[in-house]
Amino acid sequence: MPISIHSSHMASEHLERYRDIIPDFDAFLDSMSRPLPVTVRINTLKTSAPELLSRLDRAGVGYERMRWYPLGLRLDVEKPGRLMEFHMGLIHVQEEISMLPPVVLDPLPGERILDLCAAPGGKAAQMSMQMSNRGLIVANDSSSARIVPLRANLERLGAVNTIVTSYDGRRFPEYTFDRALVDAPCSSEGTARRHPGVISRCSVKRSMDLQSLQVSLLRRAIQLTKPGGVVVYSTCTFAPEENEGVVSRVLDLADVESFTVPGLRSSPGLPSWNGNDYGEELVKCRRYYPHENDTGGFFVAKLRRRLSAGE
Amino acid sequence: MSRSSAEGFQPVNKDTVVSMWRERFGISEDVFKGFGFFRRGRMIWAFSLPEIPPFRCESIGMRVISMRESPWKPTTYALQLWGRHARKNVIDLNDEMARRFFAGESLELRAQVERGYVVVTHMGSVIGCGLYTPGKLISQLPRERRILDDQNAPEHHAQPGDTQQDGTE
Ligand SMILES: C[S@@+](CC[C@H](N)C(=O)[O-])C[C@H]1O[C@@H](n2cnc3c(N)ncnc32)[C@H](O)[C@@H]1O
Repeated sequence: MPISIHSSHMASEHLERYRDIIPDFDAFLDSMSRPLPVTVRINTLKTSAPELLSRLDRAGVGYERMRWYPLGLRLDVEKPGRLMEFHMGLIHVQEEISMLPPVVLDPLPGERILDLCAAPGGKAAQMSMQMSNRGLIVANDSSSARIVPLRANLERLGAVNTIVTSYDGRRFPEYTFDRALVDAPCSSEGTARRHPGVISRCSVKRSMDLQSLQVSLLRRAIQLTKPGGVVVYSTCTFAPEENEGVVSRVLDLADVESFTVPGLRSSPGLPSWNGNDYGEELVKCRRYYPHENDTGGFFVAKLRRRLSAGE
Repeated sequence: MSRSSAEGFQPVNKDTVVSMWRERFGISEDVFKGFGFFRRGRMIWAFSLPEIPPFRCESIGMRVISMRESPWKPTTYALQLWGRHARKNVIDLNDEMARRFFAGESLELRAQVERGYVVVTHMGSVIGCGLYTPGKLISQLPRERRILDDQNAPEHHAQPGDTQQDGTE
Protein backbone atom coordinates (compact mmCIF):
# COMPACT_ATOMS: atom_id res chain seq x y z
CA MET A 1 0.00 0.00 0.00
CA PRO A 2 1.50 3.33 -1.05
CA ILE A 3 0.34 5.05 2.12
CA SER A 4 2.23 2.80 4.48
CA ILE A 5 5.37 2.96 2.34
CA HIS A 6 5.09 6.72 2.42
CA SER A 7 4.58 6.90 6.18
CA SER A 8 7.33 4.44 7.01
CA HIS A 9 9.62 6.43 4.76
CA MET A 10 8.66 9.60 6.62
CA ALA A 11 9.14 7.70 9.86
CA SER A 12 12.73 6.75 9.22
CA GLU A 13 13.39 10.22 7.84
CA HIS A 14 12.27 11.77 11.13
CA LEU A 15 14.35 9.27 13.09
CA GLU A 16 17.42 10.18 11.01
CA ARG A 17 17.89 13.21 13.23
CA TYR A 18 19.01 10.80 15.97
CA ARG A 19 21.66 9.02 13.87
CA ASP A 20 24.50 10.76 15.70
CA ILE A 21 23.20 10.29 19.23
CA ILE A 22 21.84 6.73 19.18
CA PRO A 23 24.55 4.08 19.36
CA ASP A 24 24.39 1.31 16.72
CA PHE A 25 21.78 3.24 14.78
CA ASP A 26 20.99 0.52 12.24
CA ALA A 27 20.21 -1.96 14.99
CA PHE A 28 17.99 0.74 16.50
CA LEU A 29 16.04 1.21 13.24
CA ASP A 30 15.76 -2.52 12.88
CA SER A 31 14.34 -3.02 16.38
CA MET A 32 11.89 -0.14 15.88
CA SER A 33 10.20 -2.13 13.13
CA ARG A 34 9.71 -5.23 15.28
CA PRO A 35 6.70 -5.80 17.55
CA LEU A 36 7.15 -5.64 21.33
CA PRO A 37 7.22 -8.72 23.55
CA VAL A 38 4.12 -9.19 25.76
CA THR A 39 5.11 -8.17 29.28
CA VAL A 40 3.26 -8.17 32.59
CA ARG A 41 3.95 -7.05 36.14
CA ILE A 42 3.14 -9.32 39.07
CA ASN A 43 0.83 -7.47 41.48
CA THR A 44 2.02 -8.29 44.98
CA LEU A 45 -1.01 -6.57 46.52
CA LYS A 46 -2.94 -9.70 45.50
CA THR A 47 -0.41 -12.48 44.98
CA SER A 48 3.24 -13.43 45.33
CA ALA A 49 5.73 -14.29 42.61
CA PRO A 50 5.84 -18.01 43.58
CA GLU A 51 2.03 -18.28 43.62
CA LEU A 52 1.67 -16.54 40.25
CA LEU A 53 4.48 -18.51 38.61
CA SER A 54 3.03 -21.80 39.77
CA ARG A 55 -0.34 -20.81 38.30
CA LEU A 56 1.34 -20.03 34.96
CA ASP A 57 3.25 -23.31 35.07
CA ARG A 58 0.07 -25.23 35.69
CA ALA A 59 -1.79 -23.38 32.93
CA GLY A 60 1.07 -24.11 30.53
CA VAL A 61 1.81 -20.42 29.91
CA GLY A 62 5.48 -19.89 29.06
CA TYR A 63 7.31 -16.97 30.67
CA GLU A 64 10.71 -15.43 31.16
CA ARG A 65 11.60 -13.27 34.16
CA MET A 66 13.14 -9.86 33.58
CA ARG A 67 16.75 -9.67 34.65
CA TRP A 68 16.48 -6.20 36.17
CA TYR A 69 13.05 -6.48 37.79
CA PRO A 70 11.91 -9.55 39.74
CA LEU A 71 8.21 -8.72 39.32
CA GLY A 72 8.40 -8.31 35.54
CA LEU A 73 7.65 -11.20 33.17
CA ARG A 74 7.69 -11.71 29.44
CA LEU A 75 4.77 -13.95 28.60
CA ASP A 76 4.37 -16.40 25.81
CA VAL A 77 0.69 -15.56 25.09
CA GLU A 78 -1.01 -13.41 22.50
CA LYS A 79 -3.85 -12.07 24.61
CA PRO A 80 -2.81 -11.67 28.25
CA GLY A 81 -6.09 -9.79 28.87
CA ARG A 82 -7.92 -13.11 28.55
CA LEU A 83 -5.97 -14.85 31.30
CA MET A 84 -7.79 -15.57 34.56
CA GLU A 85 -4.78 -14.11 36.33
CA PHE A 86 -5.44 -10.77 34.65
CA HIS A 87 -9.07 -10.70 35.78
CA MET A 88 -8.07 -11.73 39.29
CA GLY A 89 -5.81 -8.66 39.36
CA LEU A 90 -2.73 -10.84 39.90
CA ILE A 91 -0.97 -9.31 36.89
CA HIS A 92 -1.05 -6.06 34.98
CA VAL A 93 -0.18 -5.83 31.31
CA GLN A 94 2.52 -3.18 31.28
CA GLU A 95 5.36 -2.46 28.88
CA GLU A 96 8.69 -3.56 30.34
CA ILE A 97 10.44 -0.18 30.27
CA SER A 98 7.40 1.61 31.71
CA MET A 99 7.96 -0.38 34.92
CA LEU A 100 11.16 1.61 35.40
CA PRO A 101 10.12 5.14 36.58
CA PRO A 102 8.44 3.88 39.79
CA VAL A 103 11.55 1.80 40.52
CA VAL A 104 13.70 4.93 40.22
CA LEU A 105 11.25 7.00 42.29
CA ASP A 106 11.17 4.27 44.97
CA PRO A 107 8.13 5.44 46.99
CA LEU A 108 8.04 4.04 50.53
CA PRO A 109 5.06 2.79 52.56
CA GLY A 110 3.45 5.71 54.40
CA GLU A 111 4.79 8.47 52.14
CA ARG A 112 2.69 10.99 50.20
CA ILE A 113 3.24 10.68 46.47
CA LEU A 114 2.05 12.77 43.55
CA ASP A 115 1.55 11.11 40.17
CA LEU A 116 0.80 14.23 38.13
CA CYS A 117 0.01 12.54 34.78
CA ALA A 118 -1.34 9.20 35.91
CA ALA A 119 -3.79 7.75 33.37
CA PRO A 120 -4.26 4.91 32.54
CA GLY A 121 -2.55 4.09 35.81
CA GLY A 122 0.02 1.34 35.33
CA LYS A 123 2.66 3.26 37.23
CA ALA A 124 0.30 4.50 39.96
CA ALA A 125 -0.80 0.92 40.66
CA GLN A 126 2.83 -0.19 40.70
CA MET A 127 3.62 2.48 43.29
CA SER A 128 0.65 1.42 45.35
CA MET A 129 2.22 -2.03 45.46
CA GLN A 130 5.67 -0.64 46.32
CA MET A 131 4.00 1.16 49.23
CA SER A 132 2.07 -1.95 50.38
CA ASN A 133 -1.13 0.10 50.08
CA ARG A 134 0.03 2.51 52.84
CA GLY A 135 0.33 6.28 52.73
CA LEU A 136 -1.10 8.24 49.83
CA ILE A 137 -0.83 8.41 46.07
CA VAL A 138 -2.66 11.21 44.31
CA ALA A 139 -3.23 9.87 40.80
CA ASN A 140 -4.02 12.94 38.74
CA ASP A 141 -4.83 13.31 35.05
CA SER A 142 -6.35 16.28 33.26
CA SER A 143 -8.15 14.13 30.70
CA SER A 144 -11.64 13.28 31.90
CA ALA A 145 -11.92 10.53 29.27
CA ARG A 146 -8.83 8.85 30.69
CA ILE A 147 -10.07 9.01 34.30
CA VAL A 148 -12.39 6.06 33.56
CA PRO A 149 -9.64 3.58 32.61
CA LEU A 150 -7.47 5.01 35.39
CA ARG A 151 -10.09 4.24 38.02
CA ALA A 152 -10.81 0.82 36.51
CA ASN A 153 -7.14 -0.19 36.59
CA LEU A 154 -6.60 1.01 40.15
CA GLU A 155 -9.69 -0.86 41.29
CA ARG A 156 -8.82 -4.12 39.52
CA LEU A 157 -5.32 -4.00 40.97
CA GLY A 158 -6.53 -3.31 44.51
CA ALA A 159 -5.01 0.14 45.08
CA VAL A 160 -6.54 1.38 48.34
CA ASN A 161 -3.99 4.12 49.06
CA THR A 162 -4.94 6.14 46.00
CA ILE A 163 -7.16 9.08 45.28
CA VAL A 164 -7.96 10.12 41.74
CA THR A 165 -8.08 13.81 40.81
CA SER A 166 -8.48 15.58 37.49
CA TYR A 167 -6.68 18.90 37.67
CA ASP A 168 -4.65 20.49 34.95
CA GLY A 169 -1.30 19.50 36.41
CA ARG A 170 0.12 22.98 35.78
CA ARG A 171 -2.34 24.31 38.31
CA PHE A 172 -2.42 21.45 40.80
CA PRO A 173 -3.44 22.92 44.19
CA GLU A 174 -0.96 23.59 46.98
CA TYR A 175 0.12 20.57 49.05
CA THR A 176 3.39 18.99 50.19
CA PHE A 177 4.39 15.59 48.81
CA ASP A 178 7.39 13.45 49.73
CA ARG A 179 8.02 12.47 46.11
CA ALA A 180 6.49 13.08 42.70
CA LEU A 181 6.35 11.37 39.34
CA VAL A 182 5.88 13.35 36.13
CA ASP A 183 5.34 10.77 33.40
CA ALA A 184 4.68 13.50 30.92
CA PRO A 185 2.53 13.71 27.80
CA CYS A 186 5.02 13.50 24.93
CA SER A 187 5.43 12.76 21.23
CA SER A 188 5.67 9.03 22.14
CA GLU A 189 8.28 8.10 19.54
CA GLY A 190 9.38 5.28 21.80
CA THR A 191 6.01 3.53 21.44
CA ALA A 192 6.38 3.06 17.67
CA ARG A 193 6.86 -0.68 18.08
CA ARG A 194 3.30 -0.86 19.38
CA HIS A 195 1.80 2.09 17.49
CA PRO A 196 3.67 2.31 14.18
CA GLY A 197 1.76 5.46 13.18
CA VAL A 198 3.16 7.73 15.89
CA ILE A 199 6.37 8.73 14.17
CA SER A 200 4.60 10.24 11.19
CA ARG A 201 2.96 12.75 13.56
CA CYS A 202 6.25 13.83 15.12
CA SER A 203 8.08 17.03 14.25
CA VAL A 204 10.44 19.46 15.89
CA LYS A 205 7.62 21.97 16.14
CA ARG A 206 5.40 19.46 17.96
CA SER A 207 8.23 18.66 20.38
CA MET A 208 8.78 22.36 21.10
CA ASP A 209 5.06 22.84 21.80
CA LEU A 210 5.12 19.88 24.16
CA GLN A 211 8.26 21.21 25.81
CA SER A 212 6.52 24.24 27.27
CA LEU A 213 3.74 22.05 28.70
CA GLN A 214 6.28 19.57 30.07
CA VAL A 215 8.35 22.33 31.71
CA SER A 216 5.26 23.76 33.41
CA LEU A 217 4.18 20.33 34.66
CA LEU A 218 7.63 19.47 35.96
CA ARG A 219 8.10 22.86 37.65
CA ARG A 220 4.74 22.50 39.38
CA ALA A 221 5.58 18.99 40.56
CA ILE A 222 8.88 20.16 42.03
CA GLN A 223 7.18 23.04 43.82
CA LEU A 224 4.71 20.56 45.33
CA THR A 225 7.50 18.30 46.62
CA LYS A 226 9.21 18.88 49.96
CA PRO A 227 12.75 20.30 49.88
CA GLY A 228 15.14 17.36 49.50
CA GLY A 229 12.37 15.20 47.99
CA VAL A 230 12.82 13.17 44.80
CA VAL A 231 10.99 13.97 41.56
CA VAL A 232 11.22 11.61 38.59
CA TYR A 233 10.58 12.98 35.12
CA SER A 234 10.00 10.44 32.36
CA THR A 235 8.84 10.32 28.75
CA CYS A 236 8.54 7.67 26.07
CA THR A 237 10.24 9.76 23.41
CA PHE A 238 13.76 10.20 22.05
CA ALA A 239 13.37 13.90 21.26
CA PRO A 240 15.96 15.85 23.31
CA GLU A 241 13.64 18.90 23.20
CA GLU A 242 11.19 16.95 25.41
CA ASN A 243 13.84 15.35 27.61
CA GLU A 244 17.13 17.08 28.43
CA GLY A 245 15.62 20.31 27.03
CA VAL A 246 12.93 20.13 29.74
CA VAL A 247 15.16 19.10 32.62
CA SER A 248 17.65 21.87 31.81
CA ARG A 249 14.89 24.39 32.45
CA VAL A 250 14.21 23.30 36.05
CA LEU A 251 17.79 23.30 37.34
CA ASP A 252 17.07 26.44 39.37
CA LEU A 253 14.66 24.30 41.47
CA ALA A 254 16.26 20.86 41.53
CA ASP A 255 19.51 18.95 41.02
CA VAL A 256 19.91 15.98 38.69
CA GLU A 257 21.07 12.77 40.35
CA SER A 258 22.63 9.75 38.73
CA PHE A 259 21.15 6.29 39.25
CA THR A 260 21.85 2.79 38.01
CA VAL A 261 19.56 -0.15 37.46
CA PRO A 262 21.55 -3.38 37.38
CA GLY A 263 20.61 -5.62 34.47
CA LEU A 264 19.19 -2.84 32.28
CA ARG A 265 21.28 -1.29 29.50
CA SER A 266 21.05 2.45 28.92
CA SER A 267 22.79 5.46 27.42
CA PRO A 268 23.65 8.74 29.16
CA GLY A 269 21.60 11.91 28.77
CA LEU A 270 22.81 14.53 26.30
CA PRO A 271 24.74 17.57 27.60
CA SER A 272 23.98 19.39 24.33
CA TRP A 273 22.04 18.94 21.10
CA ASN A 274 21.68 20.91 17.88
CA GLY A 275 23.48 23.92 19.29
CA ASN A 276 21.59 23.91 22.60
CA ASP A 277 23.77 23.60 25.67
CA TYR A 278 21.79 21.70 28.28
CA GLY A 279 24.57 21.45 30.86
CA GLU A 280 27.07 18.78 31.84
CA GLU A 281 24.88 17.38 34.67
CA LEU A 282 22.35 16.21 32.07
CA VAL A 283 24.53 13.15 31.39
CA LYS A 284 23.13 11.83 34.70
CA CYS A 285 19.76 11.27 33.02
CA ARG A 286 19.31 7.90 31.32
CA ARG A 287 18.09 7.09 27.80
CA TYR A 288 16.69 3.63 27.06
CA TYR A 289 16.70 2.63 23.42
CA PRO A 290 14.60 -0.24 22.02
CA HIS A 291 17.59 -2.26 20.80
CA GLU A 292 19.37 -2.07 24.16
CA ASN A 293 16.87 -4.19 26.09
CA ASP A 294 14.27 -5.19 23.45
CA THR A 295 11.72 -2.77 24.94
CA GLY A 296 10.04 0.48 23.97
CA GLY A 297 12.05 3.69 24.20
CA PHE A 298 12.20 5.81 27.37
CA PHE A 299 13.90 8.72 29.06
CA VAL A 300 14.22 9.00 32.84
CA ALA A 301 15.60 11.83 34.96
CA LYS A 302 15.93 11.64 38.72
CA LEU A 303 15.77 15.07 40.34
CA ARG A 304 16.03 16.24 43.91
CA ARG A 305 14.39 19.44 44.98
CA ARG A 306 16.89 21.98 46.31
CA LEU A 307 16.77 22.69 50.01
CA SER A 308 16.43 26.41 49.30
CA ALA A 309 14.72 26.58 45.96
CA GLY A 310 13.85 29.85 44.31
CA GLU A 311 10.33 29.63 42.92
CA MET B 1 -19.84 9.37 36.47
CA SER B 2 -20.58 11.81 39.20
CA ARG B 3 -17.88 14.29 40.02
CA SER B 4 -17.88 14.90 43.71
CA SER B 5 -15.65 16.48 46.24
CA ALA B 6 -14.08 14.84 49.24
CA GLU B 7 -17.02 16.19 51.24
CA GLY B 8 -19.28 13.69 49.47
CA PHE B 9 -17.57 10.97 51.51
CA GLN B 10 -18.70 10.42 55.10
CA PRO B 11 -16.52 8.41 57.49
CA VAL B 12 -18.25 5.21 58.66
CA ASN B 13 -17.73 3.35 61.87
CA LYS B 14 -14.83 1.00 61.26
CA ASP B 15 -16.06 -1.66 63.72
CA THR B 16 -19.29 -2.08 61.77
CA VAL B 17 -17.38 -2.77 58.59
CA VAL B 18 -14.71 -4.96 60.16
CA SER B 19 -17.29 -7.07 61.96
CA MET B 20 -19.06 -7.80 58.69
CA TRP B 21 -15.88 -9.31 57.27
CA ARG B 22 -15.23 -11.21 60.47
CA GLU B 23 -18.73 -12.61 60.86
CA ARG B 24 -19.30 -13.59 57.26
CA PHE B 25 -15.80 -14.71 56.28
CA GLY B 26 -13.77 -15.05 59.47
CA ILE B 27 -11.31 -12.42 58.28
CA SER B 28 -9.21 -11.08 61.14
CA GLU B 29 -9.40 -7.38 61.94
CA ASP B 30 -5.60 -7.19 61.61
CA VAL B 31 -6.09 -7.30 57.85
CA PHE B 32 -7.74 -3.86 58.01
CA LYS B 33 -5.14 -2.23 60.21
CA GLY B 34 -4.51 1.31 59.06
CA PHE B 35 -7.44 1.47 56.65
CA GLY B 36 -10.37 3.84 57.03
CA PHE B 37 -13.87 3.37 55.62
CA PHE B 38 -16.06 6.01 54.01
CA ARG B 39 -19.53 6.07 52.65
CA ARG B 40 -20.76 7.80 49.52
CA GLY B 41 -24.20 7.02 48.18
CA ARG B 42 -24.86 3.35 48.85
CA MET B 43 -21.25 2.25 48.62
CA ILE B 44 -18.55 1.86 51.26
CA TRP B 45 -15.00 2.71 50.22
CA ALA B 46 -11.73 1.69 51.86
CA PHE B 47 -8.90 4.21 52.00
CA SER B 48 -5.45 4.20 53.53
CA LEU B 49 -5.75 7.38 55.60
CA PRO B 50 -8.13 8.36 58.39
CA GLU B 51 -8.88 11.64 56.60
CA ILE B 52 -9.40 12.48 52.97
CA PRO B 53 -6.87 15.03 51.73
CA PRO B 54 -8.32 18.36 50.62
CA PHE B 55 -8.63 17.80 46.88
CA ARG B 56 -11.52 17.71 44.45
CA CYS B 57 -11.63 13.91 44.26
CA GLU B 58 -13.00 11.77 41.44
CA SER B 59 -12.70 8.78 43.75
CA ILE B 60 -10.85 7.62 46.84
CA GLY B 61 -9.37 4.21 47.50
CA MET B 62 -11.62 1.36 46.46
CA ARG B 63 -15.27 0.36 46.65
CA VAL B 64 -15.48 -2.57 49.03
CA ILE B 65 -19.14 -3.00 50.03
CA SER B 66 -22.45 -2.31 48.37
CA MET B 67 -25.23 -1.38 50.79
CA ARG B 68 -27.85 -1.67 48.06
CA GLU B 69 -28.35 -5.29 48.99
CA SER B 70 -29.34 -6.79 52.30
CA PRO B 71 -27.17 -8.19 53.70
CA TRP B 72 -24.43 -5.90 52.46
CA LYS B 73 -22.55 -7.29 49.50
CA PRO B 74 -18.75 -7.34 49.29
CA THR B 75 -17.35 -6.21 45.94
CA THR B 76 -15.34 -8.63 43.83
CA TYR B 77 -12.34 -6.30 44.09
CA ALA B 78 -12.43 -6.26 47.89
CA LEU B 79 -12.60 -10.06 47.94
CA GLN B 80 -9.69 -10.27 45.49
CA LEU B 81 -7.68 -8.16 47.95
CA TRP B 82 -8.78 -9.62 51.30
CA GLY B 83 -10.58 -12.88 50.46
CA ARG B 84 -7.45 -14.99 50.81
CA HIS B 85 -7.67 -14.32 54.56
CA ALA B 86 -11.17 -15.81 54.72
CA ARG B 87 -11.64 -18.84 56.98
CA LYS B 88 -15.20 -19.69 55.97
CA ASN B 89 -17.77 -19.28 53.21
CA VAL B 90 -15.16 -19.95 50.56
CA ILE B 91 -15.81 -22.12 47.50
CA ASP B 92 -12.82 -23.37 45.53
CA LEU B 93 -13.54 -24.31 41.92
CA ASN B 94 -11.72 -26.74 39.64
CA ASP B 95 -10.39 -25.60 36.25
CA GLU B 96 -13.54 -26.38 34.32
CA MET B 97 -15.88 -24.74 36.83
CA ALA B 98 -13.63 -21.70 37.17
CA ARG B 99 -13.77 -21.21 33.42
CA ARG B 100 -17.57 -21.41 33.46
CA PHE B 101 -17.81 -19.08 36.45
CA PHE B 102 -15.63 -16.53 34.62
CA ALA B 103 -17.98 -16.84 31.64
CA GLY B 104 -20.81 -15.69 33.92
CA GLU B 105 -22.58 -19.05 34.21
CA SER B 106 -24.41 -20.17 37.30
CA LEU B 107 -23.00 -23.45 38.58
CA GLU B 108 -24.95 -26.34 40.06
CA LEU B 109 -22.98 -27.41 43.09
CA ARG B 110 -23.26 -28.16 46.77
CA ALA B 111 -20.70 -26.76 49.19
CA GLN B 112 -20.19 -26.62 52.95
CA VAL B 113 -20.98 -22.90 53.15
CA GLU B 114 -23.82 -20.75 54.42
CA ARG B 115 -26.39 -19.30 52.07
CA GLY B 116 -25.36 -15.83 50.86
CA TYR B 117 -22.25 -14.16 49.49
CA VAL B 118 -19.15 -16.31 49.23
CA VAL B 119 -15.50 -15.95 48.22
CA VAL B 120 -15.00 -17.92 45.02
CA THR B 121 -11.45 -19.14 44.44
CA HIS B 122 -9.50 -21.21 41.96
CA MET B 123 -6.40 -23.01 43.25
CA GLY B 124 -6.49 -20.72 46.24
CA SER B 125 -6.42 -17.45 44.22
CA VAL B 126 -9.57 -15.37 44.54
CA ILE B 127 -11.82 -14.97 41.51
CA GLY B 128 -14.42 -12.80 43.23
CA CYS B 129 -17.90 -12.73 44.68
CA GLY B 130 -20.52 -15.43 44.25
CA LEU B 131 -24.02 -15.86 45.65
CA TYR B 132 -24.66 -19.31 47.07
CA THR B 133 -28.06 -20.86 47.56
CA PRO B 134 -28.13 -24.57 48.34
CA GLY B 135 -27.28 -26.36 45.10
CA LYS B 136 -26.37 -23.26 43.15
CA LEU B 137 -23.57 -20.69 42.82
CA ILE B 138 -24.42 -17.51 40.94
CA SER B 139 -21.64 -15.30 39.59
CA GLN B 140 -21.54 -11.75 40.97
CA LEU B 141 -18.55 -10.75 38.87
CA PRO B 142 -18.76 -7.32 37.31
CA ARG B 143 -19.31 -7.61 33.60
CA GLU B 144 -15.86 -6.41 32.66
CA ARG B 145 -14.36 -9.28 34.67
CA ARG B 146 -16.05 -11.94 32.56
CA ILE B 147 -13.96 -13.92 30.14
CA LEU B 148 -16.08 -14.78 27.17
CA ASP B 149 -15.24 -17.16 24.37
CA ASP B 150 -14.57 -15.12 21.21
CA GLN B 151 -16.37 -17.65 19.06
CA ASN B 152 -19.63 -18.38 20.85
CA ALA B 153 -20.07 -15.76 23.51
CA PRO B 154 -23.00 -16.52 25.81
CA GLU B 155 -25.39 -13.69 26.45
CA HIS B 156 -24.63 -11.25 29.23
CA HIS B 157 -26.92 -11.60 32.19
CA ALA B 158 -26.26 -8.74 34.53
CA GLN B 159 -27.08 -9.68 38.09
CA PRO B 160 -29.04 -7.16 40.07
CA GLY B 161 -26.47 -5.27 42.10
CA ASP B 162 -23.58 -6.09 39.77
CA THR B 163 -20.64 -3.96 40.66
CA GLN B 164 -20.41 -1.40 37.94
CA GLN B 165 -17.23 -0.15 36.43
CA ASP B 166 -18.28 3.46 36.14
CA GLY B 167 -18.84 4.06 39.82
CA THR B 168 -22.52 4.96 39.58
CA GLU B 169 -24.05 5.05 42.98
C1 LIG C 1 2.39 9.19 29.21
S1 LIG C 1 0.73 9.41 29.74
C2 LIG C 1 0.81 8.85 31.43
C3 LIG C 1 0.89 7.34 31.61
C4 LIG C 1 0.71 6.91 33.06
N1 LIG C 1 1.71 7.52 33.92
C5 LIG C 1 0.72 5.41 33.24
O1 LIG C 1 1.73 4.86 33.70
O2 LIG C 1 -0.28 4.75 32.93
C6 LIG C 1 0.56 11.15 29.91
C7 LIG C 1 -0.75 11.61 30.51
O3 LIG C 1 -0.68 13.01 30.74
C8 LIG C 1 -1.98 13.53 30.69
N2 LIG C 1 -1.92 15.01 30.58
C9 LIG C 1 -1.77 15.75 29.47
N3 LIG C 1 -1.74 17.07 29.80
C10 LIG C 1 -1.89 17.13 31.15
C11 LIG C 1 -1.98 18.22 32.07
N4 LIG C 1 -1.88 19.49 31.67
N5 LIG C 1 -2.14 17.92 33.38
C12 LIG C 1 -2.23 16.64 33.80
N6 LIG C 1 -2.17 15.58 32.96
C13 LIG C 1 -1.99 15.82 31.64
C14 LIG C 1 -2.59 12.80 29.52
O4 LIG C 1 -4.01 12.79 29.61
C15 LIG C 1 -1.98 11.41 29.63
O5 LIG C 1 -2.86 10.52 30.25
